[in-house]
Amino acid sequence: MNFDLTEDQQVIADLAQQILAGSMDVDRLKAAERGSGWDPEVWSALAEANLVSLCLPETVGGSGMGAIELALVAEALGRNLAPVPLVPTVVTAMAVAEFAESGTHDELLAGVADGSVVLTSALASAGANDPLLPGVRATPTANGWRLEGSKPAVPYAAEAAAIAVPAQLPNGSSLVALVRTGTDGVGLAPEKTTNHQPAAGLTLDTEVSTADVLGTAGDEAAEVTRWLYEHTVAAMCSIQVGVAEGALAMTSSHVTDRQQFGRPLSAFQAVTQRAADAWITTEAMRVTSRNAAWRLGAGLDARRDVAVAAWWATDGGQKVVTACQHLHGGIGADIDYPVHRYFLWGVQNGTVLGAASAHLARLGGLLARS
Amino acid sequence: MHIGDTPQEAAFRAEARAWLEAHASLRDPAAPAQEMDLATHVGHCRTWQATLAEHGWAGITWPAEFGGRGGSAIQSAIFGEEQARFDVATGAFAVGIGMVGPTLIAHGTPDQQERFLGPMLRGDHIWCQLFSEPGAGSDLASLGTRAERTDGGWIVNGQKVWTSLGQFADWGILLARTDPTVPKHAGITYFCLDIASSGIEIRPLTQITGVAHFNEVFLTDVFIPDENVIGSIGDGWSVARTTLLSERSFIGSGTGQWGVDDLIETARRLKRSDDPVVRQGLAAAVCRARTLDYLGLRLRTAMSQGRMPGPEMYVMKLAYAKHWAATADTAMAILGMSASLGDFSPTAASHHIEGDDRWPSMFLTQYAIRLGGGTDEVQRNIIGEQALGLPREPAADRGVPWKELALR
Repeated sequence: MNFDLTEDQQVIADLAQQILAGSMDVDRLKAAERGSGWDPEVWSALAEANLVSLCLPETVGGSGMGAIELALVAEALGRNLAPVPLVPTVVTAMAVAEFAESGTHDELLAGVADGSVVLTSALASAGANDPLLPGVRATPTANGWRLEGSKPAVPYAAEAAAIAVPAQLPNGSSLVALVRTGTDGVGLAPEKTTNHQPAAGLTLDTEVSTADVLGTAGDEAAEVTRWLYEHTVAAMCSIQVGVAEGALAMTSSHVTDRQQFGRPLSAFQAVTQRAADAWITTEAMRVTSRNAAWRLGAGLDARRDVAVAAWWATDGGQKVVTACQHLHGGIGADIDYPVHRYFLWGVQNGTVLGAASAHLARLGGLLARS
Repeated sequence: MHIGDTPQEAAFRAEARAWLEAHASLRDPAAPAQEMDLATHVGHCRTWQATLAEHGWAGITWPAEFGGRGGSAIQSAIFGEEQARFDVATGAFAVGIGMVGPTLIAHGTPDQQERFLGPMLRGDHIWCQLFSEPGAGSDLASLGTRAERTDGGWIVNGQKVWTSLGQFADWGILLARTDPTVPKHAGITYFCLDIASSGIEIRPLTQITGVAHFNEVFLTDVFIPDENVIGSIGDGWSVARTTLLSERSFIGSGTGQWGVDDLIETARRLKRSDDPVVRQGLAAAVCRARTLDYLGLRLRTAMSQGRMPGPEMYVMKLAYAKHWAATADTAMAILGMSASLGDFSPTAASHHIEGDDRWPSMFLTQYAIRLGGGTDEVQRNIIGEQALGLPREPAADRGVPWKELALR
């Protein structure tokens, strides 16, 4: 039993922090917000440092690491608010490596490893809160499957070479298909998101070959949908840990420097105690998300662990960024001051992951069935 | 005790409703999202304010001698409740009618009342508040904008911030330090400032929703004539208290709807109203809204009986801030993932003010209601002192001349 990071894991965490803290600053963030919404240069820097390929197989240029190492990079990403497609790309690539027939997608994965290819997954559905019941329909054809339906807010969809789309079969089971963007019947409409990163609504009326179905269609493929969902949620939880941590660091320094009534704000107990509560919440988010990532990486059943981490990341994460925004007082309302970005990221992660109540309902369902 | 309209109040409500029906159209909750930029919104506010004034519905609680209706706080609330159902805009006059008017009625000279109240009531003048400074937020009385004596008036230098709608204002109420040698509350004077004066620079501050509601205001050698000093020199803090009390009671006032009907409608429309977790959120919102109703009724009762409202006003503002945040939170859970969509970029050409986008917008601006008009913490301190009779917090700066504080 050891909750500490290994030496290698610590090196990965430090490297990610060093690269992201060294490259992300307010001017870069503003430039990304005014432009495409993301930062391809920082993405290249991460790829060059082998942090994108970290969790891919060595056969395609990766390092063969897993979910816990991805979690550490994701924490650094949230801490520095780096607008790059780490989670959608890496989790989708890991799913392709895990479930596609061996050797069939090596070129695509090698592109991911060297930073030239972005991938993503279409997990969210409007209104409905169960990502395991996808809204897209799949019907068999001579050489594969016909996909019909739509998905809102697919992160980095227009930047991605391919999108992993869970789809429902006529028999109620599901499959995950890798849809190539730019092919007939794959429509993308750009959408604005709360934290300004790119996203697009996806409409499908297209066909995919059997080779682009991850795993085999049927009950087993429903497991691929769950795998994709759980790995994505766990990694998003880790981003949220970094967001909370970064927001709190900025807040601690603000309440120490800002004077009112002849003393620093931090000398008021109402301020200090709210900040301390936010720190306790952040640490709860960290331990639960690392546990979930570790269990996923170890190939253990992590359904409850992911739900617990997700509840902390959504409910707790939003409480932390709200507290940090509040403790900044008026200055936080001005978008020239940087703290609001943590708030926007925290709110967006809280909704993209599914609201806190949805995770509680899911955990409740798991408990009731056991 | 009688909760609900008295026969006189019911008659007033019927009269108000009949007039509103004749002069405005009902808000249609099912109408498609409306897009409107701030300037258009302010224009609509001016038009509606002029219509109200023309028909004697402006300044319901203002005495008739100042052009008001001479009515009670309860009548004003009733009119507000009825008006909320109609497609009209009023926000730009919140500072003028709600805060400056009562201050001038209490502290202004007959000449000042004559010059300022009429144009305010008719919608000719939009007013803004020039109180907060970068270094003086919760500790407003530590403000450092200086006003120095000159022939026939004062020369003002300094910087103000969080000035709502300053970019559209004609006049501002300004607090400035006229005597730095006395303790901080004692050396402040209250001015009316013509925004067309030279030396004023207004820079909009963009918020995370993309809207530039607030402004920074830079004052460089701005001249204010003596005739625009409100109250006595050095007595600005007590004048400002009238304004701040009006602000707090305004922020905590509102209509009997509190956004709850819209919340329930949103849940139904998105077919989420059968979800037990969502239903609990809706039910909790109804509980909060009814509490706000009754707190508001008690507050208005005190005001209509001519009593100064007590600590319940601070409870009201805290409860409202909590309700705002929790309601937006429930709405976000109902919207699910689509709550992360919506164009809140500073470059957005226009801003949705209706439709589902308003929930994320409300969620994102929840901090404002917890900060504006005194932070949650300031309200709780006042409740501790006034409701519970607890001793005041020890203050390091009490009795110290302002200029010595500035050196610390």
